[in-house]
Amino acid sequence: MTAQWHDACATDDVDDEDLITLKLADQVVAIYNTPEGFFATAGMCTHEDESLDGGLVMDGVIECPLHQGRFCVRTGKALSAPAVENLVTYELQVRDGRVWVRV
Amino acid sequence: MITNATTSNIHMDKKQLKALMRRSDRPGLKYLISWVALLVVTGIPVMLSVGTWWFIPAILLYSGCFAVSAYALSHECAHGTAFRTRWLNEAVFWVTSLLYYEEPLHRRYSHASHHTHTWIEGEDNQMPYAPIPLTFAGWVEEILGLGLYWHQTKMFVLHSLGIFSDNVKRVTPESELPRMQRNTQICVAIYVGLAAVSIWAGWMWPVYLIVLPRVLGGPIMNAFILMQHVEMAENQPNIVQSTRSFRTNWFFQFLYFNMNHHIEHHLYPTVPFHALPKLSAKLGDQLPDPDPGFLSTHWEVLKITIRRSLGRNDRSRKIRQAFSDDLTGADHDRSMA
Ligand code: FES
Repeated sequence: MTAQWHDACATDDVDDEDLITLKLADQVVAIYNTPEGFFATAGMCTHEDESLDGGLVMDGVIECPLHQGRFCVRTGKALSAPAVENLVTYELQVRDGRVWVRV
Repeated sequence: MITNATTSNIHMDKKQLKALMRRSDRPGLKYLISWVALLVVTGIPVMLSVGTWWFIPAILLYSGCFAVSAYALSHECAHGTAFRTRWLNEAVFWVTSLLYYEEPLHRRYSHASHHTHTWIEGEDNQMPYAPIPLTFAGWVEEILGLGLYWHQTKMFVLHSLGIFSDNVKRVTPESELPRMQRNTQICVAIYVGLAAVSIWAGWMWPVYLIVLPRVLGGPIMNAFILMQHVEMAENQPNIVQSTRSFRTNWFFQFLYFNMNHHIEHHLYPTVPFHALPKLSAKLGDQLPDPDPGFLSTHWEVLKITIRRSLGRNDRSRKIRQAFSDDLTGADHDRSMA
């Protein structure tokens, strides 16, 4: 299936230095609001089956709520154990106060 | 079986929780500096009293301060919650794990399994070595930490050689095993190197300030660790039933990095140690009353194990305790309670 752009949420829906997760095209997607801008990755941790929704966003990094594995929100790169597998990232655009994600 | 806040039916406002999760270097640094100062203040009498009777109380006091906090700080750093600055967290993690006697990466992975499967037999890699429910002999074994020493020593030897048990492989991604091997080799090199330099230079301070305190402080440290889940229910998803929080005085809270709020820690492990009292207050009556102080709770645990060993009623009215048939291997039934 080819990726399509989805109107995911309003920019105001995501607090500063925080994230929300939602389902787009059957995928759980995390949308982050950081001082460097908005980013989107897969919304489930790659270590175990844990939603990143309750995680901590800090310095462009999402920390998983279960074991504090860390990922770069921009690249999806796994930064520290117990997370070793990178997160999938999605293209994202902000248009007229709306966040669009290509999934 | 997974254990977390959801499976424990505990709820917390997301915004309030995120506020508690926020990181800062300041509380961790304050604790670290205070702990090092405490070790200096209690360590000087140790060094000055060598060869006298004063050495015994001096080293016992120092050992308690040394071992409990080395464990607690290493645990906090394993979660990455001690400091906001990552390199600081990892540097302190290495040092305190070396003092605690465990290779840091193994510590992180085995502790992750403890959080995913808290007190689930065969899945939680940090269950007691003695059979549950604990008898008096089991209590002695756990307090002396003989199983832990043997286990960790075996890990240092086998992991240095690149040999990993099925249990370690179960909780560690394959791609991490070479790193675990390299880390273990570094740890062994540090231990052997320090021993060799000490023998060559005639230093005794590593014995008086590290080795003896780890051994003598071990039972106090193990008493704190044992309290976290002992006599609580096994093999069920509710952390409130499998885990114990207890009250204690400010000094023990300090030494233990607030881990007496242990249910709260298991529910939300991303909340740093310094915010646990606030988290506890926010969770309010979703949590059971904490057990009485460290000494009185542990005294109850000890009495339970003695009564059980004598075949007498092992129920306590003073601390939270699972029904006997929630403890693996118990041959009692619920009607005895
Ligand atoms: S589930 Fe995310 S780090 Fe373990």
